[in-house]
Amino acid sequence: MRRRTTRLGALTVVSGLLLAACGGDDAATGDGGSGDTQEITMWMYPVIFDEADHSAFWDEQVAAFEADNPDIAVKVEIYPWANRDEALGTALAGGTAPDVVYLIPDQIPQYAHTLAPVDEYLDDTALAAYRPNAVESVSMDGQLLGAPILMSINPLVCNKAAFDDVGADYPESWDDLLALAPSFKDAGYDVTNYWGSVDATLNTSFYPLLWQAGGDVFTDDGSAVAFNSPAGVAALSLLVELADGGYVERDLLTTIPAFEQTNTAKGQIGCTWQQVPADLEPFWGEENIVVLPPLRQRESIAYGTVGALSIMADPGDAAADAAGRWVSYVSSEAVTSEYVVASGYFSPYALDDSLYADDTRYAEMETHLDAATAGTPHEHARQVMGLLAPEIQAALTGQKTPEAALADAENAAANLFD
Amino acid sequence: MTPSDEPSRARTAQRVLARREARIGLLFVLPAFIVFLAFRFGPAIASMALAFTDYTIGATPNWLGLENFRRMLDDPVFWSALKVTVMFTVMTVPVSLAMSVGMALLVRRAFRGVGLFRSIFFLPVVTSLVLAATVFTWIFSSNGPWSSLMGRLGLPEETWLGNPNLVLPALVVVAVWSRFGYGMLILLARLQDVPRELEEAALTDGANAWQRFRYIVFPQLRPALFFLAVIETTASFQVFDLVYVMTGGGPARASYTLVYELYEQGFRYFNLGYASAIGVALFVMTLVVALIQRWVIGRDR
Repeated sequence: MRRRTTRLGALTVVSGLLLAACGGDDAATGDGGSGDTQEITMWMYPVIFDEADHSAFWDEQVAAFEADNPDIAVKVEIYPWANRDEALGTALAGGTAPDVVYLIPDQIPQYAHTLAPVDEYLDDTALAAYRPNAVESVSMDGQLLGAPILMSINPLVCNKAAFDDVGADYPESWDDLLALAPSFKDAGYDVTNYWGSVDATLNTSFYPLLWQAGGDVFTDDGSAVAFNSPAGVAALSLLVELADGGYVERDLLTTIPAFEQTNTAKGQIGCTWQQVPADLEPFWGEENIVVLPPLRQRESIAYGTVGALSIMADPGDAAADAAGRWVSYVSSEAVTSEYVVASGYFSPYALDDSLYADDTRYAEMETHLDAATAGTPHEHARQVMGLLAPEIQAALTGQKTPEAALADAENAAANLFD
Repeated sequence: MTPSDEPSRARTAQRVLARREARIGLLFVLPAFIVFLAFRFGPAIASMALAFTDYTIGATPNWLGLENFRRMLDDPVFWSALKVTVMFTVMTVPVSLAMSVGMALLVRRAFRGVGLFRSIFFLPVVTSLVLAATVFTWIFSSNGPWSSLMGRLGLPEETWLGNPNLVLPALVVVAVWSRFGYGMLILLARLQDVPRELEEAALTDGANAWQRFRYIVFPQLRPALFFLAVIETTASFQVFDLVYVMTGGGPARASYTLVYELYEQGFRYFNLGYASAIGVALFVMTLVVALIQRWVIGRDR
């Protein structure tokens, strides 16, 4: 009997230890172990598609940085794009968040209260040299919450093969696009595409039209939504007209099929503002990619995102200071220029010379960077998308008029601002 | 010592033995139980506590009392998600059960190749649902086989996933496809226990196939059916993967279910307090439905 009790006791102890091992290890974060070295961790994602190339790039930067800063040890961890918010959120809740993380404007409001402003770590010349729209995309309440390291732009991309086949001129405005639609349909092409699935971001689909029509998602002071406006109605009416006329692929309005099964990938489409040349090149062939200025209604505006490095350590912490020095180093013009060329993006700095002098399509995209916006960061941006996207779908599938759909979305969003 | 002492002592010895066995049994279960406690009960209880707070990532939670539940009652999206979930369950569970019974009866007897059929019918259960959902997205697309089949039947050749009225039936088809094999297996095991003589006797008495099923086989299946009904209902209330992969809740929220709302609130908007409140509501509803099922189907036992 006693032996059994001992065994039971031992088992309980072992189980207890097991549980303890599974628990959080807050004490371990930020401590480099050996005396003076401050260890910091950065979470990155496959911005450079080739994993080996990407790791090599960061290894090189870490080595260069650590040579100048022997008191800091940097660890760069590259995670997949998929489910990155779940992973980051879980790490934050568990006290194992990285010190530095790569974020885009869409994510910044979600994490704003965990981010340290980066302005104080960047030198003034660097801050002044950034493109204003890059800075604006990652600032909230006047604070820069990430140091931009790259920019992207979704210009208008047209399919040369289709235009040659139909014998049409490239569109510049919404009216041009609508005018082309019937002849494209007759020739077996969609004039454009629209990804309407409610879990697809509106940043690349509906919002560019809203901006082109002179509208915006939120009011200037951010106290309410502003999409239920003549500009919003015009943008949604354009989409409804395209959907009703059968000028866009019907399945894309409600589902996200595998890309290679879409008319877009098959080259049965005229133009798109929702895919970039890098997406289309493998399917259309390099020779058929024509990069054009973003469509114009009242203005010519495109969606473009910014990749920024944000600091998650507590301001004033030794880790935050080390993270700041690292971020300042890698967000410099020299390092970012190398990074964006290796990854096929664009510099967040207003450079004197093109980085893509030998590539006409990328050089063309580069000239439109000032017309790119990721929208103004807003704490309710994602919720508003969640309320607006189903209403847009309701309009596209003929259940509601554009006016009613936008009014309903506006009413639903009002609850967020109580 | 009276003669009556003897059996009583034997009973005591038996009880001691039983207790000892129970203790050893407990010892074996303990590791699994502790893991279960730490990774199932713990988080479940914690999430119930979170439901009363405004917890979000990286901030200290504030106690809100019943505020999240009040918000839920005023939230039209919650009610629409509840409606969609209930409709999905009402369609899925009976179809899935009927399909399980039917298939179990078909592959019940030994015939050449029965093992192969049983394996084929069970295959969807062990297939990744995300993978299956991706394939079904294509099957239901405008140019997919399902649409052309509908076209041949003289029905509109459109994608069911793009039609607010047909999107749920489409998801039900996939859900039933992915789950009937499990039910079939459970019922098959139960069917093996039905004495063949009973049915043969009924056959001799002139009972037809339906009567044999209704009066001899079905009563035997009842406990297994109760078990399946509970499992299927719980699974249907928690449907998520299919919606996540195939529709994203669309078109226009026609397939936006409760767990999908929970996911969006929790992991897209980081309203973890509100997401927990939805989770608690879901738990209570599933429990109530299970109790009702127990009362209705499990009544005799």
